Amino acid sequence: MGKQSGNGKIGAVLVVGGGIGGIQAALDLAESGYYVYLVEKSPSIGGVMTQLDKTFPTNDCSMCILSPKLVGCGRHLNIELLTYSEVLDIKGESGNFTASVRKKARFVDGAKCTGCGLCVEGCPIIMKNEYDQGLRERKAIYTPFLQAVPNTYVIDKREERPCKAACKEACPIHMNVLGYIALIAEGRIKEAYDLIRSTNPLPAVCGWVCYAPCELACNRGQLDDPLAIRELKRFVTDQIDIDSLKVPEITRNGKKVAIVGSGPAGLAAAHDLALQGYEITIFEALPEPGGMLRFGIPEYRLPKDVLNKEIEYIKRLGVEVKVNTKIGGEIQLDQLKKSYQAIFIATGAHESTKLNIPGEDSHGVIHAIDFLRDINMGKKINIGQKVAVIGGGNTAIDASRVARRLGAKVKVIYRRSRAEMPATPAEVKGAEEEGIELIFLTNPTKIIAEDGKVSKMECIKMELGEPDASGRRRPIAIEGSEFVLEADTVITALGQIPVLGFAKELGIEISERGTISTDEALATNVEGIFAGGDVVTGPSIAIEAIAAGKKAALSVDEYVRGEPLSSKEDKRQLEELNPGEVSVLKSRFPTKNRIPIRELEPKKRIKDFREVEQGYSVSEAKEEAERCLASQIEGCFECGECKTRCAAEAINYEMQDEYVDLNVGAVVFSTGYDLFDPSVQYELGYRKYPNVVTSIEFERILSATGPFQGTLLRLSDLTPPQKIAFVQCVGSRDPSHGRPYCSSVCCTYAIKEAIIAKEHSTVPLDITIFFMDIRTYGKDFDKYYERAKKESGIDFVRSKVYNVESADSTGDLVVKFAAEDGVVKTEKFNMVVLSVGFQSSAEFAELAKKVGIQLNPYGFCQTKPFLPMETSKAGIFVCGALSAPRDIPETVVQASGAAGDISALLASARGTLTKRKEYPPERDVSGEESRIGVFICHCGINIGGYVNVPEVTEFAGALPNVAHAERNLFTCSQDTQEKIKKAIEEHKLNRVVVASCTPRTHEPMFRETIREAGLNPYLFEMANIRDQCSWVHMHEPEKATQKAKDLVGMAVAKARLIEPLKPVALQVNRRALVIGGGVAGMTSAFTLAEQGFEVYLIERSNALGGVARRIHYNIDGEDVQQFLGKLIKQVQEHPKIRVYTDTWIVDVHGYVGNFTTEIMRYRGRVVEKIDHGVTIIATGAEEHKTDEYLYGRDPRVLTQLELEEEIVGENPDIINCDNLVMIQCVGSRNDERPYCSRVCCNEAIKNALKLKELKPEMNIYILYRDVRTYGFYEQYYEEARQKGIVFLRYDLENKPLVRQIRKGSQFLLRVEVNDPVLGDEIAIDADILALSVAMVASPEVSELAMLYKVPVNEDGFFLEAHVKLRPVDFATDGVFVCGLAHAPKSIEESIAQAKAAASRASTILVKDAIVGEGIIASVDENLCSGCGICEAVCPYGAIAVDQEKGVSVVNEALCKGCGTCCAACPSGAVQQRGFTREEISAMLSAALVGT
Amino acid sequence: MTIALNELDSRFKYDVANEPGGENIKICFACGLCTASCPVSDIDQKFNPRKIIHMVLLGMRKEVLSSDVIWFCIQCYNCQAHCPQNVDFADIVKALRSMAVREGYVAPSFVEKVKEIDVFCQKLRHEMVGAVVSSRSQGAEGEPSKLAAEALKSL
Repeated sequence: MGKQSGNGKIGAVLVVGGGIGGIQAALDLAESGYYVYLVEKSPSIGGVMTQLDKTFPTNDCSMCILSPKLVGCGRHLNIELLTYSEVLDIKGESGNFTASVRKKARFVDGAKCTGCGLCVEGCPIIMKNEYDQGLRERKAIYTPFLQAVPNTYVIDKREERPCKAACKEACPIHMNVLGYIALIAEGRIKEAYDLIRSTNPLPAVCGWVCYAPCELACNRGQLDDPLAIRELKRFVTDQIDIDSLKVPEITRNGKKVAIVGSGPAGLAAAHDLALQGYEITIFEALPEPGGMLRFGIPEYRLPKDVLNKEIEYIKRLGVEVKVNTKIGGEIQLDQLKKSYQAIFIATGAHESTKLNIPGEDSHGVIHAIDFLRDINMGKKINIGQKVAVIGGGNTAIDASRVARRLGAKVKVIYRRSRAEMPATPAEVKGAEEEGIELIFLTNPTKIIAEDGKVSKMECIKMELGEPDASGRRRPIAIEGSEFVLEADTVITALGQIPVLGFAKELGIEISERGTISTDEALATNVEGIFAGGDVVTGPSIAIEAIAAGKKAALSVDEYVRGEPLSSKEDKRQLEELNPGEVSVLKSRFPTKNRIPIRELEPKKRIKDFREVEQGYSVSEAKEEAERCLASQIEGCFECGECKTRCAAEAINYEMQDEYVDLNVGAVVFSTGYDLFDPSVQYELGYRKYPNVVTSIEFERILSATGPFQGTLLRLSDLTPPQKIAFVQCVGSRDPSHGRPYCSSVCCTYAIKEAIIAKEHSTVPLDITIFFMDIRTYGKDFDKYYERAKKESGIDFVRSKVYNVESADSTGDLVVKFAAEDGVVKTEKFNMVVLSVGFQSSAEFAELAKKVGIQLNPYGFCQTKPFLPMETSKAGIFVCGALSAPRDIPETVVQASGAAGDISALLASARGTLTKRKEYPPERDVSGEESRIGVFICHCGINIGGYVNVPEVTEFAGALPNVAHAERNLFTCSQDTQEKIKKAIEEHKLNRVVVASCTPRTHEPMFRETIREAGLNPYLFEMANIRDQCSWVHMHEPEKATQKAKDLVGMAVAKARLIEPLKPVALQVNRRALVIGGGVAGMTSAFTLAEQGFEVYLIERSNALGGVARRIHYNIDGEDVQQFLGKLIKQVQEHPKIRVYTDTWIVDVHGYVGNFTTEIMRYRGRVVEKIDHGVTIIATGAEEHKTDEYLYGRDPRVLTQLELEEEIVGENPDIINCDNLVMIQCVGSRNDERPYCSRVCCNEAIKNALKLKELKPEMNIYILYRDVRTYGFYEQYYEEARQKGIVFLRYDLENKPLVRQIRKGSQFLLRVEVNDPVLGDEIAIDADILALSVAMVASPEVSELAMLYKVPVNEDGFFLEAHVKLRPVDFATDGVFVCGLAHAPKSIEESIAQAKAAASRASTILVKDAIVGEGIIASVDENLCSGCGICEAVCPYGAIAVDQEKGVSVVNEALCKGCGTCCAACPSGAVQQRGFTREEISAMLSAALVGT
Repeated sequence: MTIALNELDSRFKYDVANEPGGENIKICFACGLCTASCPVSDIDQKFNPRKIIHMVLLGMRKEVLSSDVIWFCIQCYNCQAHCPQNVDFADIVKALRSMAVREGYVAPSFVEKVKEIDVFCQKLRHEMVGAVVSSRSQGAEGEPSKLAAEALKSL
């Protein structure tokens, strides 16, 4: 793939990991001219951020801020998403890599799946929902979350299916046997019942009497015994009270169908047709409905009330049954033909086959079917003492067992042997148990009567010859073997044939066998008449008749709707396991025989007609269901339910994994982190007590999309907790569990979760956070912490929790800890949240080894000093928590930073592989009358199931100016886009309205479609009839339909008025201005220059280097000056960079792409104008000038930077001193500066370690409030303690006291502080006192903020566009921020941010032109009074009063179309294009008055 | 009371670290898990492992070595099993005790007595467990604690 160009470098990039880091890197790179492959292992991009409820410190909804990025990534022309995929290997070198990727089979075709979600309803397989951390379940077919990108479902098929699911194939109606068995195994009986009922109209009947072809086919039978499928079905139906079932709402279609016969075929057809909306009348000759089910099956097998209830249910669907109405008798078939659209004949086979032997007509010879019917009708029949039953089928057995119950001695005479008996073995066994004698290989030859009444029967012995046509061996009489047996009654059961006089009269074709002839779809030769069941097949089993009824229903419906009949003969191949499979399965599934069915004892049961079989108990049913081979596997077993429901035909079980090689110039890894599993710390009670949860589980519990819809409940009893404890540092700062580093984010996320929990709680809630040091070191995090304490009332207890134990049986928990003063305490909580730490990604470790990327000692990705995104392998970069625990903004910064690095690396190949979309010229529609096309979406049944779409379409078609209205199954599918384009052409449409789902996800796509058809994309309007109609009013279909009409009417009313919009396109000046010549500014400048852009670098002082010039070494021991010297040289010598020192910014004009900045050089001597397209502000920060602790009054008191300079200068007074004290947080984290300066803890430890290196016996005391050595810096804190540096904690309320004490001729520098562990005052006479003073913003900030119209926060640092996801951007386009001007940070962090700013800037600089928004504000100059209110409210600086004209003017390049000015304008002069007052009025009047 | 650090022995922590068992004392970050996990602290708040370590780090040689609390430890090692930093307080106590003897804060005979008591306790525990096991094997039923109590009586 990909042509080679650009000095052999490939202009494509592989991004591995689709979390926020990977998404940001992909978006930046794609916008900068590189083709991006984004590989993500899960089915959707989004990563952990999708699971978070809110994000700190702004408490923004995580999904709300992320979702637009997901959509943007999914739709980007130059980002190719490879989700559900994994990178197997990467070969090659920087500039030219080949990555092999496995695209796992989704079993759902992404090109066809519309994400409608109907498949999910059918899926019977319940699995753990990873998205909800297993707190909730999902189906085997799923998308991870609602807003997944791509919105393509995936089937979770964990392993090969162990059995062939032959049960389903064998079942004449192909019931999802595996599905309901799996549900029974899980104890989900109602779901099992629903699944059974979804295909079977007579579930209970089948549960009682089905001869279960499924069991014969069951693959488990090849191991031991087949599953007791029928018995399990009976168990399920027995648990459900059919009478209490709700009948689905049916929309009647006004069509009538007559069904003749109320046996299983007739009832099944009636059921299915009634559900489709047909009006059904069943004509039944007998006095009660049910056919053979009622009159052919004895009560002991099928109790009448079971049958009655099933029939009652079908009647409740609106089916009328006319009994005692015989066709050809009371009513004629041709009469029916006139009043019904179709007729289905299902009269069964009720006439017995004759014996054709002498004496057959004697009194006492009864046909079995007549015998059973009479008994079932309650007639008294005297059969005498001795009964002979002739036949070997189920009817013969039924008759014999009934006769036995009437008190007779019964012999069954069958002409072949036991092996050939068609009767079900279980029934035969039952008969024998009841004392019925079976006489095989015997045939009657004569019936002998006395006084016209049977007394004896002569029989002959038989032997078996060659197989006959039926495949069974033909019985041959043995001559001379005649014998006589006594009989009072002879019951013949040789089969039945239909009675068909009525059919013949109408000319219906009859077969040679005496049954009705039909085609495969069950249509007879007479138009509109269908037939099925025994009347067509001859006597068969109930489920075959039901299958025929269902098939007839399908055909009748097709016939009535005028469609061709689609049903075919459906005999399926039954697959058996081969011997190899059997032996494998036998080793996996130990022998377990079928759970026996409890039966009434034979002695008892022959006394009456009580049921023989007693059914399974709940535990027996579960045990039996668990024998199913398929119920043992986790995942899809191809039951086909999703496939049946998928109208888009997207399901493909045969899909295979694909392997692709990707050719790329560079790689970014962003696969994130794993979470520490706290179950190894058994004393914390995780997995032991349900109310101990991890922080991520708690996040899901809090989330509105979580298991409790955002209601805070604990897991043990689903009650709202009133007292919650957070335990910090679980799996962090814990060398004893192999996690010595700090996870950086847990303190702040715990605070966030605590605040949100209090907000969500429905009851008063107390929260305690147990911590060691609170590490809220990020921008604005400390204020968040203070707010949590003061405003939310969250308690913070400085202590590491020892253990969590169960308090009592209520689920409450007891937390044990030692307070700082040494008092050991226990406290009861309702719930405990463990703030689990990050650990290295196991997924990455394996690949890193293969590719040759080094890991650090903690298993995270190793990066290079001062090159925070570079791995040990050139051309492979890393961002986010893969290289160290870090939060979202830092991940986003690194992602953009890595994109900046790569943009520089691959600059020569930029634009070589990107795609560009070409559109046809835009059609001029001006002057045309509106011709609107309306496209209404069924969305499968998502909309169509509730809103009457045909009615809405009809309504739309009748609206004025609507030239075309149509409805589609899925309006968003690819083929519908083509239909829309064709319709635009065919009907000369000039406006398009789509009524479907939400414009948020779909409007851009439809706009693109009409653009492809030559229409301006703004000639489009959308009505959301899914969310606003079918979803919210699903129980009121009529009202939903009315509302859909209203919404469509409104959209059409607006569409009449909409006009083409033309966004402005502005040329881009491809030069950058970077303000500030420190590390950040120089890095930004260099990164941009390396990409080929010209850069002006402005520095106010006379030299480059900034505050880094005072830093000589960093905590890792790297030489900062060496690095800085190299960077300065690179910048100064770069041909694309012009450095201006001693230079001030005087004035700024213009906007993104076209700035003009006036600069003043050498203190006012030279003024120049610089034209540039983007601006990066990197003005740095400086040390706070404190007056605390005798600073400036005693020469022994220094700042950390001063101390560092003295150490480097080897000042003997300092490096040889005996007692050195450091005080932290001087000027930070107080009322005046309520922020943490982030670097001071590390600075202090760095200097202390340096001093210890120089003089190991020096006593160093560090007085701190919280030690904030976040991430891997924790190792230096440990090293400092190991070296003997003593840490003493103090509180803000109890700050250290520093004073001079006179001792003889000397003044001692005495530091006093209260020690919370001892509870005593400590005094130290210090030789040197170093103060870790706050970092404060540079004074330039406020000037530049005014000039570039960008905001500053209350601490004096620049305020970015969004603290989470746009950390280097400003709301004002084209202006960026990085380094200390943004917030205090380390050099490495400044470098990452500087590169990020360069990357973000380059996304503008690579463009020829910037295209603005189409929907923007415009000013009617006649109405504008120039009051300036709009100017004041605009957040983008996009509208301003033109002083000359005296009216407001919109800068079309800057306007984002937010509409604030339109709302604010008192004179109505400002209007929003695309949302004009006329358009909105038209919509309102359409809604209120009607169109 | 004000403790003047300059008057204390800042070498103390290094000396303890040089004793067998005392090696890790300096890496303590005062989380207090040793105290929270200590069965002696449960009974007597005077015994506070975190505080003892802290006093060592501050150089309070005399105060620590002369204190009776260092003899309170029952060497159950629960603190050691839970300390996230592997500071090994039970071993530190041993180091402190031997320093206390060496530096004359307690008489060697006292140590002998302590040792005897330790050995006795060990023996008692051993025999008690043995008694419980044997009574169980003879079919006795009931809670282990009850069986232990009975075993103790019989001993």
